[in-house]
Amino acid sequence: MSPRLILQPEGREVVCGEGEILGQALVRGGVPLNLYCGGRGICGKCQVEVVGGTPPDEDASERRLRETRNLPVGSRLACRLAVRGDLSLRLPSSSLLPQMPILVGGKSRPVVLDPALKKIAFRTEAGRPPSSWEGLAFSPRAEASLARAFSSASGSGDVLFTAVVYDEGEVLEVEPGDTSGRLFGLAIDLGTTTVVVELVDLVSGKTAGTAAGLNGQSSFGADVVSRINAAFGNPPRLEELRAAVVRTLNDLIRELLGRLAVAPEEVGEAVVAGNTAMNHLFLGVSVDGLAVAPFEGAFLDRPPLAAGSTGLRMNPNGLVFISPNIGSFVGGDITAGLVASGLEDLPGRHLFIDLGTNGEIVLNNGGRMTAASTAAGPAFEGMALSCGMLALPGAVYKASSDPSGRWAFETIGGLPPRGVCGTGLIDIVAGALSTGRLSSGGQILDPSRRLALAEGLALAQQDIRELQLASAAVKTGIRMLLEAEGLAVSDLDGVLVAGAFGTSLNAANAVRIGLLPRIDGRRLTLLGNASLSGARAFLLSRAVRRRGQALARGVRHSSLAKSPDFQAKFIDALEFKQWT
Amino acid sequence: MDLTLQSMAQMAQSIIDGDKDAALRLARDVLSGGGDPQTAVEEGFIPGIQKVGALWESGDYFLPELLASAEAMKAAMSVLRPALAAGRAAALSQGKVVLGTVEGDIHDIGKNLVAALLSANGFEVIDLGADVTIERFIVAAEESGADIIGLSALLTTTMLGQRRLIDELNRRGLRAKYAVLVGGAPVTQKWADEIGADGYGENALAAVRAAKTLAGRR
Repeated sequence: MSPRLILQPEGREVVCGEGEILGQALVRGGVPLNLYCGGRGICGKCQVEVVGGTPPDEDASERRLRETRNLPVGSRLACRLAVRGDLSLRLPSSSLLPQMPILVGGKSRPVVLDPALKKIAFRTEAGRPPSSWEGLAFSPRAEASLARAFSSASGSGDVLFTAVVYDEGEVLEVEPGDTSGRLFGLAIDLGTTTVVVELVDLVSGKTAGTAAGLNGQSSFGADVVSRINAAFGNPPRLEELRAAVVRTLNDLIRELLGRLAVAPEEVGEAVVAGNTAMNHLFLGVSVDGLAVAPFEGAFLDRPPLAAGSTGLRMNPNGLVFISPNIGSFVGGDITAGLVASGLEDLPGRHLFIDLGTNGEIVLNNGGRMTAASTAAGPAFEGMALSCGMLALPGAVYKASSDPSGRWAFETIGGLPPRGVCGTGLIDIVAGALSTGRLSSGGQILDPSRRLALAEGLALAQQDIRELQLASAAVKTGIRMLLEAEGLAVSDLDGVLVAGAFGTSLNAANAVRIGLLPRIDGRRLTLLGNASLSGARAFLLSRAVRRRGQALARGVRHSSLAKSPDFQAKFIDALEFKQWT
Repeated sequence: MDLTLQSMAQMAQSIIDGDKDAALRLARDVLSGGGDPQTAVEEGFIPGIQKVGALWESGDYFLPELLASAEAMKAAMSVLRPALAAGRAAALSQGKVVLGTVEGDIHDIGKNLVAALLSANGFEVIDLGADVTIERFIVAAEESGADIIGLSALLTTTMLGQRRLIDELNRRGLRAKYAVLVGGAPVTQKWADEIGADGYGENALAAVRAAKTLAGRR
């Protein structure tokens, strides 16, 4: 008869194979046991208390750990214990993996804390050869550091050192002393217009701080196409673009690390979620393939890079993981956003829309995922408008008009209005439409052809045209993606909106101007910056990272512009009218 | 039956409204009523498309209106052109244009608009579509006896194809046979001058104006 494991105090039973490793049986039975070092008996994090039954004797690595770490009497390492009979166990909470909430659109999705990068502290007798660290592959640098740690400690008793381990197998670096309480990662949302960097504590799973700024490549052009054009066939320019964005990132990282008193050496991993052109440019990889038909980049997915080769201000022996691209114009930012949104787990038919300089659309049609991208231009980010601005203090981000045409604004920071950002523009256009100051064709009806908003602030006819073009691009994309799958808007169970708009988009107004399909508010979810949440989830969980990689491969990439009726649909979509 | 001022105003209005059905009906009425097709074109429909151009330039009209008007004009012309006396038809025909988006570029909304407006303005248009090789442009121009080759490009990367076509015409000794007209979002007058193009259109209507100027020179 198979041995039984009784979990106290609940009394829950887990069945176990004869001779099975206790840790594996518990994980199989749904216990989120922290097998931090991958079951090698070296980290001591999977201790369980045996309160009944007779466990077998401890093995060599457990004995070593008991000596060096003062493992309490009665506590055993679940990863080293082969079960030979019924056991009654108590699991201390310190041995369980914490669940980290990943916040998306105010909703939290739990992610089990299991980062790809971990630190394991060792205390051992001087003179013990490094080859005894079972199953761990040491990089040449780590091996050299280890040898140094031993030689400097020779004859003085125990050696204390910390291994920086990647994916439970590879030791990237060895640091003297116990530094296992200090390990950080960077979640980077590498946008065409704006860049957000978040410092994440990989030990606790908590976000330490965030910094944001304008992408320094903006001087080379506002949108992806102009950046690609700038670098096309021009290696020195490509290098300038690379250096510009790395400078932006490093300025933000320097500010964050300084504010939070973290040394660059303590930052071991960065996850970069950017569109395909942005991640190519960040690595200084040629974008020539993205410039001309058939528009193919140099890579979709690639193994993590040595941080030192990227120029990021972090531990040069650490790693940089590029969120995998789905296609040439549906990039790693969308993969990250999808992972955070949970689109693939939603039953039925859901649409994910990321509204930014590019408008990317992903449809989950009962498990079949298709993605497309549309060139929306920078209007949604408040750029390219005569009175436009990013969502910065003084930007009008909410607006409404009373029937007499008087405007009420909300600005970021409550400052006097200085300009209009994307969500404000949508509100203003919706307000002007319903008070008869704008035709559905987008014509400003006042003879001045200007829409006065406040002292010194007005929308020009061309601003409305920019929004029409951006909105039509997205709308056409949605229409064509649905049609390709034989679906109508009424078949959708829900719409998830991510991107530049954050969570301040007035969904009713977006529907009013025809940007979003008509769908009742209940089924419309505003996700905010899902790419950043996804990058954070990639840092915190190996399982999520693997899922993201599989997802990027599994989503079909559909090219809309090749479709013969794109133009007719696009022209039709320019009108401000609700979906029918 | 003579055409009344009122009926010619209706023709112009059908174009301004982008009302293809009305334009078609008015054009057919001219023929069935024994009116003079040339007068209808020159004093009815053409003033309409000219007004549309003015509305576009003032920002009152946008792409949908422009396209609808161009389609209405094309429809009216398709009815009236065959009825024009041969000499008059030739006089009304502005010329033959081979048009396309250059190789490597699949964007063709702007090019399609130029094609529609050129037709509406009396040009014979041979539209080669998007992602067109230099060879196809030249073969089509040679075979059709075109006056103008029109090249559209949306990307600064693909607009190099405009230069390559001109270079190729020079190499084959064909440059003098054709006027080359360039356009597209990244294209500027400076670029047109640099590569030795004969004309440049900042937008679809400007392209039509440039084409008229080029046709007038030939």
